[in-house]
Amino acid sequence: MKRFPELKPNFWDVIVVLAVIALAALSAMTVWRGGTETGTLTAVVTADGQEIDRFAPADLLDAPRTYSYNGVTLTVAAEDGNGLRVSSSDCPTQDCVRTGTISRSGQSIVCLPARIVIQLIGGAADSSGVDIVIG
Amino acid sequence: MKLTTKQLTLCAVLTALALAFSYLENFFPLSLAIPIPGIKLGLANIVTVFALYALGPAQALLILTGRCLLGAVFAGNMNALIFSLLGGFSAMLVMILLSRSRHLSIYGVSIGGAAAHNCGQIAAACLTLGSMAPLYYLPILLGASLITGAVTGVAAACLFRALVHTNILR
Repeated sequence: MKRFPELKPNFWDVIVVLAVIALAALSAMTVWRGGTETGTLTAVVTADGQEIDRFAPADLLDAPRTYSYNGVTLTVAAEDGNGLRVSSSDCPTQDCVRTGTISRSGQSIVCLPARIVIQLIGGAADSSGVDIVIG
Repeated sequence: MKLTTKQLTLCAVLTALALAFSYLENFFPLSLAIPIPGIKLGLANIVTVFALYALGPAQALLILTGRCLLGAVFAGNMNALIFSLLGGFSAMLVMILLSRSRHLSIYGVSIGGAAAHNCGQIAAACLTLGSMAPLYYLPILLGASLITGAVTGVAAACLFRALVHTNILR
């Protein structure tokens, strides 16, 4: 036994909790700041960190787009309105499909096996900028 | 590092326990709620918190390294290795620093560790994807770490209360 830990929460633990909350709030203000970008909503597709495609979500209404990288093929389709989603992927994890629809600036769909990121930029972000409130 | 037979045995048992926790986590996929591939609950951090106090930082690091490497081998997924290494070592570093404070209880230490774990995993996602897009989930994950860190803290505190009268901790 190196040192027996303190087993009752105390004032100092509250400081740690407050520090984490402050960090969360600070990062929320940094990464969720919306509405500062101008222009129309644009989807940017990157694979291995390189931009491979850029289009307006409305373009998908004509035809879904398909990307094949790192042995994975995924299809991006329009969701009614101005959103988009990954409608199918042949990766084992299916995280990108489960992400569902994204429609606001700053949101993204990540596919790790294909190393593809689909990110929405530009356009007015949602006024609240909040997706989920936890706790 | 020279280990006694008892220390070596405890390290081995705790590494096995951490691996079992990592496997158990697959049944509660956090990625359903927060769609970043590779993101996990961090149950195995219970072992890290316990080892840090019971055996000290050096052996806790040994257990952590063994868990990450063996976990990646068993999962057959080297992509996951960078996630568990960055998450695990960030948590370890922060918890070593926090546990040096005489004031903090095991709860504060494990919440700090959980927050660092999630920051490390986001960093791993950014590195793997070559994109800053995963940062979008950082605030949500930091919020979630308050809950997962508290759960880890409760579990570790229960463990110490239960073991205080045994000779394992001596």
